[in-house]
Amino acid sequence: MAAETRLTAFPVRILRLWWVYTRLNLLTLTRDLNSFVIWTISDIITNVTAVMGMLFLATRFQGIGVWSLAQTVFMLGYAALVDGVSALFFNYNVLYISRRIGRGQMDHLLIQPQPLWMSLLTEGFAPAYAVPMLVPGFIMVWWASVRLTHPVSLPAFALSLTASMIVLISYQFLWGSLAFAAPRAAEEINTSTLELMSQLKQYPLNGAGGLLRFGLVTALPVGFLAWIPCRALLGMDTSALSLWKTPCAALVLSLLATIAFRKGMQTYAKTGSQRYSGFGHRN
Amino acid sequence: MRRQDHSATADSDIVIELCGVGKMFRQRQRSERLSDVFRNLFHPTIKEVHALRDISMQIHRGEIVAYAGPNGAGKSTTVKLCSGMLAPDTGTVRVLGFDPMRERVRFVGSIGVVFGQRTELWSEHPVAASFEWKRVVWDIPRERYDRMLGFVKEVLGLDEFFQTLVRELSLGQRMRADLGLALLHEPDILFLDEPTLGLDVLAKRNILQFIKEINRERRMTVMVTSHDMAELEQLAGRIVLVDKGRLAYDGDFVRLRREFADRRSLTLETETPVAPVLLGAEHLSSEANRHEYAFDATQVSISALLQQAAEQTRLLDVETHRGQIDNVIADIYERWQKENNPLSVPGVENPRH
Repeated sequence: MAAETRLTAFPVRILRLWWVYTRLNLLTLTRDLNSFVIWTISDIITNVTAVMGMLFLATRFQGIGVWSLAQTVFMLGYAALVDGVSALFFNYNVLYISRRIGRGQMDHLLIQPQPLWMSLLTEGFAPAYAVPMLVPGFIMVWWASVRLTHPVSLPAFALSLTASMIVLISYQFLWGSLAFAAPRAAEEINTSTLELMSQLKQYPLNGAGGLLRFGLVTALPVGFLAWIPCRALLGMDTSALSLWKTPCAALVLSLLATIAFRKGMQTYAKTGSQRYSGFGHRN
Repeated sequence: MRRQDHSATADSDIVIELCGVGKMFRQRQRSERLSDVFRNLFHPTIKEVHALRDISMQIHRGEIVAYAGPNGAGKSTTVKLCSGMLAPDTGTVRVLGFDPMRERVRFVGSIGVVFGQRTELWSEHPVAASFEWKRVVWDIPRERYDRMLGFVKEVLGLDEFFQTLVRELSLGQRMRADLGLALLHEPDILFLDEPTLGLDVLAKRNILQFIKEINRERRMTVMVTSHDMAELEQLAGRIVLVDKGRLAYDGDFVRLRREFADRRSLTLETETPVAPVLLGAEHLSSEANRHEYAFDATQVSISALLQQAAEQTRLLDVETHRGQIDNVIADIYERWQKENNPLSVPGVENPRH
């Protein structure tokens, strides 16, 4: 009976928490007109320029390698959406979890009367911050979709996008957990890992050699953030399980991240945090 | 969220119980010599720091307990153990009948925690937004929220800055807002770690009055750590002193003064400028006919000193003052440092619990 209550209560509670964080996020962004306009415009420019290099190349050569122009733009849009969806759900330094751990800010989550996973799943919800990332992504995907010869299934697209986001957040948590062992040295490790993933994910990996490509789908699983799911969605990978490669990677990585993070939390319970900084906390 | 069923506690009047609690941290020791680079990297010396050693105590419902000790004594570690942020290495911690670590989610809804140097407020939002955030995250029923909001607003005077951005608040205002926030869910126990750190005199007085008031009106148990002993003496009936992780004293302030040193000052105004020689008192200074002395009231009585003085000269006026509690505690800390073993101090072999 108790378990049933928890199961029904959790989704409702998560929705309520997302709503309260949406309000906070909107209030931050709209506290004055100048900040709102500057923030929105600068964020759109930043996100558009991030893919401009690849876009110019693709336009100049009508595609990249075996990828046509529409397929390349689709992949760039997909990559931007992965960033956008991750920023939507895991803002406020949840995506940069090493900062929270390294700065001793996990204590703030531990005094909340809810499971830690629920706090982490909801506290970073920031739709207003994510819009400038999502809009260019949606425009590129839409522009490419109407030009593609191979139709893209919407459920498959949603599944792949969710899986790619899980790959990214799991990878961040996997590395971020190092901050439990070395709070000061690893505090900013997620800045480096996210930058690496963000910069590499927009490139088609067809041209990469076998060993490099293997590395880019295992040790640095950047291939799952755009290249592999887009190949499956666009019909470029015709293997039977092509659509399931990214969800499988998400499953494995999330499992590894959970183990590493739980192990880290056990260490945290034993040692606590030897340092505390409120920097970046609830801004 | 359902309120805690307090019948879970064996003796419902005991709300905090620490039994043989020990906590040890490891610190890497690094040599400053270049020749030790490889040793620092691959075989560093590890120093074991015992934050708490075999701490046992009980706190009853409705008590205000001052938890004090020198820097690094283990005060914050105890607060973290009691609020579910840390697990003890040895011994057990029970708070409101819960194991704070294992039953964290159910337990933390019954406590409030305020760290003086941290904030739970959202800095880019008005204070009101953080209160609304807390209502949702803590799942506080609307009736209780409205009632407690009214209470904390009135007693802490939050109205004047309730719509102000948190980052624009003064330290005193921020602390008042943080205290109010910690009480919104009407906790049974309030843990305060250095709540008045950096506050001015007026802000301190307001906070202290507030803590006393919630304790008196709501019988809320308060465990407070501070370096300011005068403040703790005003606030708490009971003081627990820790030093190097050991429980060194547990009792009231009167007994603390009596057992350690009841330092007092004596000022005599005499007919002549010659200062009387008083056995058992230290002559501090003389200015014209006024002479100041310090003495330990546990060693020599005022009447004995006055009798000695009266035998030597004619007394025109007499003033005596109790020593500041800070001085008493400073003497105790100094004695501990010299003896390096607090438990060897006479009168504290048997802490209260």
